[in-house]
This record gives sequence, structure tokens and C-alpha cells, in this order.
Amino acid sequence: MNTFKDFYSRQRHNFFSYLVRRSGDYDLACEIMQESFTRLIEKYSADQFTPKLLFTIGRNLIYDSLRRKKDNAPLSDAAEPSAVDPNHALLVREEYRRVLAAMKHLEEDERDLITLVVSSDLSYREVADVTGISEANVKVKIHRARKKLRSLMGRER
Amino acid sequence: MSDHLISMYIDDELDLDEKIAFVESVHRDEGYKNDAVGLLQQEKLICADVVAHLPRLSLREQRKSRHAFNWLRPLAAATAALAAAAVFLFLFRPAPEQPLQPFRFVIYQPDASQVELVGSFSGWGRIPLKSAGGSGYWEITVDLPEGDHRFSYIIEGSRRLADPTIGVRETDDFGGENSILSVRL
Repeated sequence: MNTFKDFYSRQRHNFFSYLVRRSGDYDLACEIMQESFTRLIEKYSADQFTPKLLFTIGRNLIYDSLRRKKDNAPLSDAAEPSAVDPNHALLVREEYRRVLAAMKHLEEDERDLITLVVSSDLSYREVADVTGISEANVKVKIHRARKKLRSLMGRER
Repeated sequence: MSDHLISMYIDDELDLDEKIAFVESVHRDEGYKNDAVGLLQQEKLICADVVAHLPRLSLREQRKSRHAFNWLRPLAAATAALAAAAVFLFLFRPAPEQPLQPFRFVIYQPDASQVELVGSFSGWGRIPLKSAGGSGYWEITVDLPEGDHRFSYIIEGSRRLADPTIGVRETDDFGGENSILSVRL
């Protein structure tokens, strides 16, 4: 039986990892995880709980948050991605900070795709449904994003 | 071009024909093989654990059912009365010793000369944090019983600050914000 507790236990690790990889912000990831699971409980029944639904909710909340941040940001802050917040530095594993730093230099759609694919266990078909692009496009773009990330991580070494 | 087959291989998305094409490319082309191995090694880094500990959330599963079972309200009221009686009886018998779990509180305050912790677990009494070797971090480990604990930091003896790394918060009766930490043993 797919109770909320079972679903939460199975998904919370992958989902939280996705939110940190996608946003690069531990605090924001905590807030969105809380909000996503709350929405899931309030708006859907247990037989509707699927990873695809959960990641769609989380992805939409991240988009809303990034859009708000962009709208409110002063012009001088717009171009350069910020460094890791020192308050979060101890909470993100040291070895992973280099990966997050490189991910910040990917285009939004590249980061969106790669974080979803590596975190969610969703198939390309499901990722295409979540992101609204074709499955053929997922195949090409995910590989392009991986290659770009490799070059970015090589540059930071 | 079969370049994207490397990613499809990583993501278990290849059908049988594509698997044949992928293996042939790996054997035929040294550069292709190196790309595949390089991206597989990178995948180990990307898929590694992001955080050492997952945050604890305060989620209430019963929210939805509250609306769905309105007809059960009279029964719920009777149950609540029984529960209240049970709580009353429970409060007036000797409490068993509770198991505790150590929890490390950490905050980054490079410019502060004094950081303290106040919380429901200390009866809102102040617990001083220790500076972690001049790194700007302040820390203290406190043994906590199971349950939800409200807390915040006091900077320089007066400025109150919720924990910026814990998303779950609530406003207290005086307009300040407390973080909520959920401990499960």
C-alpha cells in the first residue's frame, strides 16, 4: 500500500538531493521540500503519489522561486552566480561543493535537465513529460549538458 | 552520430540495437571509449550524496483527511476527551527517563564575539556556543529528547536569529522567529 509515510521515506533522499542540485541553496531546498510534500498531501490521494508528480511539483516551485528572486534582484547582481552561502557550507558535503559550483555555470535548461535525470530515476519519457520537451530532445540535451559539465569541472580543477 | 548513446547507456535507456551500436563504437574508437569512461566517472561525482544528513521536516499526514471525515467529528470529540483524560493521568505519574540524542548546532557568525542558543529544550535559558578555532563558525552539541524543539540564536547578547539552515520556522508570540527541529530516535 502506497501510504504517504512509505512514499516520503522512499523519495525524500532523491528529492532533497534534486532540490539542492537544482537550486544550489540548502535553505531554499528545505522550504521547497516542505511545501512539495505538503501540497502532495493536501491535493492528491495516496494512489496518485508518484515520483513524476512529486518532481513536477518541486520543479514548479523552484521555477517560481527563481523567477521571484530574479524579479527582485538588483541589476548589479544579475549576471554572476553567487558563491555558496557560508551558513550552508557545512551542510553540503565538501566533495560536492565543486560539483554545485560547476553546475551554476550551466544554462538554466541544462541544469534543469541534468539534475532531474541524475536525481529522480525517471525515464527519458517521464522527464520529457515533466519538462514539456520531446523525448528525442531529452536524449540530445542531456548528453550535451553532461559534456559541458565535464568541461566546466575540468576547468575548475 | 552516436555520441548521445553514452548518456543513454549511463541512464539505462538503450534498446538492443542501440546497445550493439554503443559496444561497437567503444571497440572501434579509442576517443569514444575515453569519453564514455570520463562521463561515467563524472556521473559518480554528480550522483554522490549532496548532504551528510537530510533535514527533518514537520509534515502532518492527517491534514487532508480532516476535511474528508467531517461526519466523524462527534466521535472525534469523544476520543479527544478520552485522550485528554489519558494525558492527565500520564502527567501525574512519575515520568520514565527519556533517551537522548546528541545534536550539533552550528552557525556562521564571523563578526560576532558572543553567540548563544536558546530553546524549548533549555526552558529558554541561554547556552553559550564555542567559537570553532577562529573560522567564523560557532558550535555546541546538546543532548535532546525525541520531539519537536523550538530554538534560535542570540548574537552579541541581544540580536535574535532563527537558524538559517533550517527551513521549518514559526513566529513566536512576540514577533520573533524560531526554528523547529524535529528529533526522532
